[in-house]
Amino acid sequence: MEWNLSGRGTDRSSGYQYHYPDSESLRSRTSSHSYSRPPYPPRAQGEHSPGDETGEGVKALRELPLCLAQKRILSKVSQMKIPVVTKWQSWKLSKSKSMKKLGEEVKEASHYLKLWRKALLKIGENGGEGLFQWERTEVRDCFNQGKQRLVIGTGRRDWERGEGGLVALLSNPSPSVSLPCSLTPLPLSLPGPAECLHYNPSPQGLVYFYSYLLDLLSGTGFMELSALFYGYYQNSEVGVSSQFSYNVPLAYLLTCLFYILLSLTWIVLRSGSGFKLAVVTGDGDLSSYSMSVFCGWDFGLEGEQAARLKQNSIRYELQVELEEDDLRRNAASRTLAQRVCLYTLRGVLNLLVVGLILAAFYCIYRASEQSSILQEDPSVKDNFFLLLLVQYLPSIVITAANFLVPTLCDIIIRFERYSMTMQIKLTLIRLTSLGVLLYSLWNQITCGGEPHESACRPCEYNYAQYPANSLHSCSQCWETRVGQEMYKLMIFDFITGVVVILLVEFPRRMLVDHCSCKPLQLWGRQEFVVPENVLGLVYAQTVVWTGAFFCPFLPLINTVKFILLFYFKKLTLFQNCRPASRTFRSSTSNFFFLLVLLLGLGLACVPLGYSVAVIHPSFGCGPFRSLRHMWDVVPQSLTSLPKTAQSFFNFLGSQAFAVPLFLLSCLVFSYMAAMASVYGNNVAQLKAQLKLEGRDKQFLVKRISELTPANQKKSAGPSGSVVDISETRELWE
Amino acid sequence: MGASASQISKELLSEYQELTFLTKQEILLAHRRFSELLSKNQDSLTTRVPQEKVLTLPELKSNPFRQRICHVFSTSEEKDDSLSFEDFLDLLSAFSDSATPEIKSHYAFRIFDFDDDGTLDRTDLEHLVNCLTGDTPETRLTPEEMNQLIHNILEESDIDKDGTVNLSEFQHVISRSPDFVSSFKIVL
Repeated sequence: MEWNLSGRGTDRSSGYQYHYPDSESLRSRTSSHSYSRPPYPPRAQGEHSPGDETGEGVKALRELPLCLAQKRILSKVSQMKIPVVTKWQSWKLSKSKSMKKLGEEVKEASHYLKLWRKALLKIGENGGEGLFQWERTEVRDCFNQGKQRLVIGTGRRDWERGEGGLVALLSNPSPSVSLPCSLTPLPLSLPGPAECLHYNPSPQGLVYFYSYLLDLLSGTGFMELSALFYGYYQNSEVGVSSQFSYNVPLAYLLTCLFYILLSLTWIVLRSGSGFKLAVVTGDGDLSSYSMSVFCGWDFGLEGEQAARLKQNSIRYELQVELEEDDLRRNAASRTLAQRVCLYTLRGVLNLLVVGLILAAFYCIYRASEQSSILQEDPSVKDNFFLLLLVQYLPSIVITAANFLVPTLCDIIIRFERYSMTMQIKLTLIRLTSLGVLLYSLWNQITCGGEPHESACRPCEYNYAQYPANSLHSCSQCWETRVGQEMYKLMIFDFITGVVVILLVEFPRRMLVDHCSCKPLQLWGRQEFVVPENVLGLVYAQTVVWTGAFFCPFLPLINTVKFILLFYFKKLTLFQNCRPASRTFRSSTSNFFFLLVLLLGLGLACVPLGYSVAVIHPSFGCGPFRSLRHMWDVVPQSLTSLPKTAQSFFNFLGSQAFAVPLFLLSCLVFSYMAAMASVYGNNVAQLKAQLKLEGRDKQFLVKRISELTPANQKKSAGPSGSVVDISETRELWE
Repeated sequence: MGASASQISKELLSEYQELTFLTKQEILLAHRRFSELLSKNQDSLTTRVPQEKVLTLPELKSNPFRQRICHVFSTSEEKDDSLSFEDFLDLLSAFSDSATPEIKSHYAFRIFDFDDDGTLDRTDLEHLVNCLTGDTPETRLTPEEMNQLIHNILEESDIDKDGTVNLSEFQHVISRSPDFVSSFKIVL
């Protein structure tokens, strides 16, 4: 490496120069700047060196921060070197080159297939990164679900469409009807009491014209008999050939479990990379100023107005951070009285928030109960709108609670001045409102967990909630009832979203644009707040996961709903919204959102597990009607496997397997923890070393500037000072 | 609307693909947009476009760092910050989606180094903050806020405590910010 002592002085401390193009300075530039690349020109393709792939040679050229002309010179220089390779190696090189080209072309082609790529780019450049992330979450959710449902749903439907005569079963789904030969019912191991077997959801007698619309919106009537809900499926086996048959109950259960597992794997994989980021930027508080200044500007922004808004938001952020820093420094010097005041205030506010949440829960519980009671009220039944309202009562109350409670909490929590805590609280509120609905449903179905109460006694679930001649006797198939509630929640969520966009955001924009009175201008246009929207998506996804077992096509419908909602939101974004005043740090929040999604999945698995393992399946409907618990179909099917497979599965479930597995996972975990602490130590040591070297550098620079005039004075100079300079040069290199 | 007579030959196109991070489509699009900046008879591959014309591109027009970007990527011998087509490709390659974080942070450092001395000292940082917040008297930070801010930045990023941020320290800070790569992007 060359060292040029003339002229630049301390400016050379970085060893970097900008003005190029002659080859000596080129070489010094390539060698001085990079800390990760070897200090010689990288080899281009056609040359082989031990442990070096040619692809990397080409890549390394691209990664050099030089202008195109210089990279061209470099590549020509390296191509001129005669490659010394054997025939085998040259074949391998040419193969790897063509594979790389193929890979690049495939990547370019798949670029077009990426869902909504153009729309997302357009959104990104207009509104910046945060919005981009929201849209990406939705795309991912949608894509994931669509993929799963297509895989699972089509598979199952094909099987059942292939049978003839199933339509005959629809009108009278009792086990006594004679079945076509391809369909064999599984043996009824537990014949149920007579009153539990009756299940006839098809409408009797004269049907009002509006009942079809009602059925579409609430999943009863003709919808209930479709493949949409649990009650449609039979506990049958489809004979494919003499040796192989498709066991519908087992397939149903395993498909649902597979779907949940797939979702879990996908979330964990995606949050893995986010987790790494979260750990790396974990002490991001330590460099928040540098990061907001160095990474603050979004170079993709276009347009005067957007740039101005961005500048305003950056200024606002910087000022707020500096102010908070000031406050924090003052806070340390707070007196005791002030602290007591602050803590009591926080305590009172927390109590208020908790009280609000409990009130909301009580409302949801009562609404769910009243809904079932009111549906049978004769005065309600005759009126279409009243009936619809009553059907949707739980959904309405939940949505209202989901909207009101966070808004109120927002106002209350503003006095507390926490930000992350608030988001967590709001998410939990939304998810627990769903939990309350499920609790009230459970209460109704299982008579509060008392299987010996009069209403529940024969069938161990509440079969007789409605009288026998009712129009919608859906409680006799409680799984379908749960599925219907989830279906209604999902539909209502979609309707609310669309209605809010059409009836709130558009008029708001009209008012703000055309009416110039002060309060309206202060209120201003709608702002697209990313966290709220993402949490809305998480809530919708949790509803879908909960209902997936009871309403198998719910994920597919949800995919369609997400696609439509995307276009609506995009429309409102471009027409009605102004850019956010606070920048949204998308990458760190990504991990948080995935974590919340995981929480939603966990919450959804609880009712699923409970229904599968504890509650008695309906006698009159569904593929598990002959079993004591839904899970029993798995041990039953296992007994039909060959001996070795059975013993293998028995072994997997036994202690001889579980205990060593547990010990092994403990070992792996402690190894990972040890590695993590070692790396942490390494990082701390490297940082300290950097500091030390910085001090060395300063010392040397001082010495050089002391010695240089001294050296220049004595032209012949004693050997001592010359040696000094060369010493320092060696030390430097 | 300039129509250039010269189209890019296949070998030149593949050479560009190898030496930059751009795909074939992006290179052709860049060629088209660059030709629009030229007048009718000028050859797109050899003519240099003056800085004022480059700054009329919508992607650069409202960027507070537009002059610095032109200056950094220009290889003009007259030092007039004019861009040739290859400079333009270099620009797009550094700002493209597939560029490595090292390249991006390197060029970001050069763009922020307003006096081209190889380090970011106090004046550079002040200039940078003014670009970020808007350079008019109403939009600048107060001198106290500016001093406090620069003091905090140097405290966080200046590891060797020499009062300036050099390239390695800059890249160290950038590596811990995952948002940087996605914000340092220009797509035509």
